[in-house]
Amino acid sequence: MSTRSPARLVVALAVAGVLAIFLLYTAVAGHSTPTLTPSQIQGKSGKLAVVGTVVGKLRGDSHGTSGLRFQLVDPQGQKTKRVDVVYRGAAPPPLFRVGRSVVVSGTYVHGQLQGTDIVTKCPSKYTSSAS
Amino acid sequence: MADLGRAALVVTLGLAVYSLVAGGIAARRSERRLAASARNALYCSFASTLVAAAVLATALVRHDFSFKYVAAHTNRHLPVAYTLSAFWGGQEGSLLLWLLVLTGYGALAVAINRRLLRDLTAWVVPVIGGIATFFSFVLVAVASPFGTQTAPFDGNGLTPSLQNPYMVAHPPMLYLGYVGLSVPFAFAAGALLSGRTDERWIIATRRWTLAAWAFLGFGQLLGAHWAYVEVGWGGYYAWDPVENAALMPWLAATAFLHSVMVQERKGMLKVWNMVLVALAFELSVFGTFLTRSGVVNSIHSFSKSSIGPWFLVFVVISSVFSLALIMWRLPLLKAKTKLESALSREAAFLYNNLLLVALCLTILWGVLWPIVTQLVKGETRTMGRPYYDFFLRTFGLPLLLLMGIGPLIAWRKTSLRGLTRTLAWPVGAAVVTGVALAAAGADSSTPGLIAYTFSAFVLATIMVELVRGTRATGSLFLLVARNRRRYGGYVVHAAIVLLAIGIAGSSAYSSSVERRLTLGQSMTVAGYTLTNRGVTVDSKANVTETRAHLAVKGPWSGTISSGDNQYVNPPEPSREVGIKTDWLRGEDLYVIVDESHPKTGLIYVQVLVKPLVNLIWIAGIVFLFGSAVALWPDAREQRRLVARFATAVP
Repeated sequence: MSTRSPARLVVALAVAGVLAIFLLYTAVAGHSTPTLTPSQIQGKSGKLAVVGTVVGKLRGDSHGTSGLRFQLVDPQGQKTKRVDVVYRGAAPPPLFRVGRSVVVSGTYVHGQLQGTDIVTKCPSKYTSSAS
Repeated sequence: MADLGRAALVVTLGLAVYSLVAGGIAARRSERRLAASARNALYCSFASTLVAAAVLATALVRHDFSFKYVAAHTNRHLPVAYTLSAFWGGQEGSLLLWLLVLTGYGALAVAINRRLLRDLTAWVVPVIGGIATFFSFVLVAVASPFGTQTAPFDGNGLTPSLQNPYMVAHPPMLYLGYVGLSVPFAFAAGALLSGRTDERWIIATRRWTLAAWAFLGFGQLLGAHWAYVEVGWGGYYAWDPVENAALMPWLAATAFLHSVMVQERKGMLKVWNMVLVALAFELSVFGTFLTRSGVVNSIHSFSKSSIGPWFLVFVVISSVFSLALIMWRLPLLKAKTKLESALSREAAFLYNNLLLVALCLTILWGVLWPIVTQLVKGETRTMGRPYYDFFLRTFGLPLLLLMGIGPLIAWRKTSLRGLTRTLAWPVGAAVVTGVALAAAGADSSTPGLIAYTFSAFVLATIMVELVRGTRATGSLFLLVARNRRRYGGYVVHAAIVLLAIGIAGSSAYSSSVERRLTLGQSMTVAGYTLTNRGVTVDSKANVTETRAHLAVKGPWSGTISSGDNQYVNPPEPSREVGIKTDWLRGEDLYVIVDESHPKTGLIYVQVLVKPLVNLIWIAGIVFLFGSAVALWPDAREQRRLVARFATAVP
């Protein structure tokens, strides 16, 4: 390694530049998933995650062929846009129920989210009692 | 009583503002009496914050539900330990704890150093005062824990999953770590403001940094263990933004702890150290902003809180302040010596720092990615686990290797021949381990095999160092006692190796099977056969416990139970996993029954076998021990430092 500062600076900047490009490439190249609220989902399709509050009746069974069916609305603000969810797989986390904020990951096709994973928000310390 | 708490916080705010303004004027004009007055104001701010904290603690213990905070986070049924832990269980209380620790740490650090580093501590007072001003303002004006109401008969209580001993210790540990990073930051800023940019500020804050770093590291492991035993998904770290918020400052502080050794020894990396200490501090505040603002989606935070924008403003102002200070004092931060060889101890520290900071910034990039994509593309995108896992392997594995090489390289320069001779035994041990593990089938995961091989290498280098040192001194105890920092560091390295082995084993070599089991039906996972023996329901005063019982045969035989609890007050469920630890193999049999039918005995069960996962928790204890060794006061070291810097203390 050169002992001259300018050379070190060039090397450092080069490393930083390569790293930045690498990160940008990796980030854009598909390791990220769109995370939307029900009001943002119109016109979208494919793999995505929806953040929302569970509303309506819970119908069916996640282990059954028809799956567990429910709807999501925006956690804050607009409550009129709803997303239909069909979830199949392991039973949802214990805290899952109507009124809870959840993140459902899956594939959005024909106006329906086919969920494969549900994360119920942790009963965090930093929330208002209403949430 | 709430009035007393509110008044105490207003007094703290006044004292903090005074120590900021008067302290700044005193330091600028070198007015000793005014400086002493500002310093006393800082001491008193701790006392007034202590009064506010005592008011809240008393209200909690007395179940005084006229305090909104007490009613929101406790109820009459809650055991005393969890009632007290509600102090930091809510936003306002946790901010009060932050202010208490900050004023306490600040007052103590200033008191210890006020005579020996007079010029520097004169500037530390207004910096700590500035930080305390922000927190006390938030507590007075935005998020007061002393809001009152007509007292209800009972409170909301604490969520059952938070009623866990780990949750009593985990948050305060993190706060001791987060807030502890304010001390080296304040001393670094003090050094820049006073123009005293030699190594004294580093020596004065070395133990503060080490203690904060140890608390932050151990606190994260406590949180990981809580998630493992309580949340019931079989994992311990989810790369969630709030978890990352604690990891990032820890990584920056780890880099700082290593790079200060280069500055102490060679007078190099002065700018870098200033940047690192500022980065660690800013990330600790940024973490709080992430937790409370709701700006990124996290499994830990639901809603947008009113304090988020205030924290963002504070992070921006303090970052600009830090950068401006460093730029202003660049001429004073020139290195005394230059890097002479790429094969030297200082070069190894530099590589270690680049990797740690790269990992830290990569994680930061992942955390900020939803905000970036929202701003650029109008669509929020979230980084998944593969992104973080990829960069953990990319930067973590070379870091592991460097942990073995670094301590064996000499300062200034090392010949390739000398290095080869030094590394012969450790390399031999690593190769033998790698080949043996590959032959045993561990090559099913290449990163896992590399992690184990590098771990063997690092452990062998530590052994070589200990054997060589013991031969020279004649006693292992004497060896460690004479250089606690170095050998404490080796113990911490051993802890990191255990952590790496545990993470690699439990992630790369774990087995998981999900099944629907009728009564009497069996399943097999990694040598264990589990048979469904039925479901029981047990109703108690405040909880109904549903448990599925499975008979286990295999490396361990017996019965394991898992199910859920439904509480009456608060009306919350919790998942109860079954964990059987085989300490000899370091392996866990982890059973999650996510649905059970008491009448028919039908269950849906997920069974995981997680090899070596317990090494992660053992690593926590070793980490704490190593940190304690490195922190322990050392009279010989102090004499050496006093001789070097006539007016400095470690």
